[in-house]
Amino acid sequence: MKAVEVKNLSFKYNNSEDYVLEDVNFSVNSGETVAIIGQSGCGKSTLCNCISGLIPRVYTGHLSGEVLIYGENIKNLSIADTVTRIGIIFQNPSTQLFSPTIEDELAFGPENLCVDRDEIGIRIEKILKTINMEKYRYDNPNNLSGGQQQLIAIASVLMLNPAILICDEIMSWIDDEGKEIIMNVLLKLKEDGKTIIMVDHELENIKISDRIIYLGGQ
Amino acid sequence: MNDIDPRTKLIQVLILSTLALIYNKLSLLSLILLAAIVIALLNRINLLSILIRLKRLVKMIILIALIQSLLTKTGNPIFRIGNFTLLTDYGLIKSLEFILRLGIIIVSAAIITTSSSREIIQGLIQWHCPYEIAFMVSVAIRFLPIFKEEMTDMITAIQLRGIDLHKVKFNKKIQVYKYILTPITINSVIKAKELAAAMEMRGFRAYPQRTSYMVLKMQAFDYIIIGLSIAAAFLFFTFQ
Repeated sequence: MKAVEVKNLSFKYNNSEDYVLEDVNFSVNSGETVAIIGQSGCGKSTLCNCISGLIPRVYTGHLSGEVLIYGENIKNLSIADTVTRIGIIFQNPSTQLFSPTIEDELAFGPENLCVDRDEIGIRIEKILKTINMEKYRYDNPNNLSGGQQQLIAIASVLMLNPAILICDEIMSWIDDEGKEIIMNVLLKLKEDGKTIIMVDHELENIKISDRIIYLGGQ
Repeated sequence: MNDIDPRTKLIQVLILSTLALIYNKLSLLSLILLAAIVIALLNRINLLSILIRLKRLVKMIILIALIQSLLTKTGNPIFRIGNFTLLTDYGLIKSLEFILRLGIIIVSAAIITTSSSREIIQGLIQWHCPYEIAFMVSVAIRFLPIFKEEMTDMITAIQLRGIDLHKVKFNKKIQVYKYILTPITINSVIKAKELAAAMEMRGFRAYPQRTSYMVLKMQAFDYIIIGLSIAAAFLFFTFQ
């Protein structure tokens, strides 16, 4: 089954004359780990924003073509339906974390979706175990290393249990030790059958991918 | 005392700041400040370290008070140079009032900070304050240290280019601060966009209502403190 289908996708920002994405076509199968690579400025992050629905919800511009998530056009999905199907993690961990404790950070997403309190508690315990950060539960995310912050950002997204995970250059702010830990978590998620789209320009960071898509021509 | 409900602290602070606004007498303002200090100490707040951290603000408060006292010409002269009145008793009283009031506000703010921003937000939500407003306050608190850090980085970057901000003339200093503030403003807008994207992808405002994993529960001790605080304020109001 196709988890993501991108058909004739073109996009340009309001303040720009050139198209960042032009007639992009590809698909990702359910359970597949796909890497999207390309030079800086080729539109990798813009593509991630289109797939996750952030374009046109948060970032506006001229968009044509369509993005289908499990056969449904992302434009027709509500916020709740989108975030339970797709999760996205960005480069900068500090702007993805906004709560005073890790527990609050993890609870934020399920709280927005009106998940029961007991269920939130169960999910928090499970996810902290997955990323091996149980002892930091009541710590302030500001006091963590970049790698740990990125792990919490991943965990915060996983709290909504999305079937598809988009990682938009999530290693670029992280040291080697942190990269290794994040890579192990992603590998675990891959083994669990999660569909993963990894965007990066360093081949080392996408070694767990099944397939590579080059953005920018070929 | 640090385990008390944030709403109890908010009520105490509300009472203290309201009294500070209502009364003008130096003796009464001193009493209110004393009460605020006692509450702060009971909350195990290290007021001295706060004063040290806020030394720039304290200096500014004293400077403003000094200017205010010098510019007030009403009242009986205390200090004169020839025919020119430099300081009057009324001006001195007004400046002391100003110092005491700001002292009460600073100590009150310190009392609030013994609860985390999440606890305060939860307190406000349970008082039926809209979540979006409470959340905005929390985000502002969360990002303040980041902006401070960015400001420091920009100043360092400017200084590394050979500009000593202490030696630059006032009109040029404004120009330099323009160079510092422009990238900070742009970065803030970028950060706000990134934050909005992260919030959107975590289902912010997906539904009109939301659940809350944290739930605050008032204990008997909280009700006793609130009762005592209101009674003290009432007595103060009656017998002042």
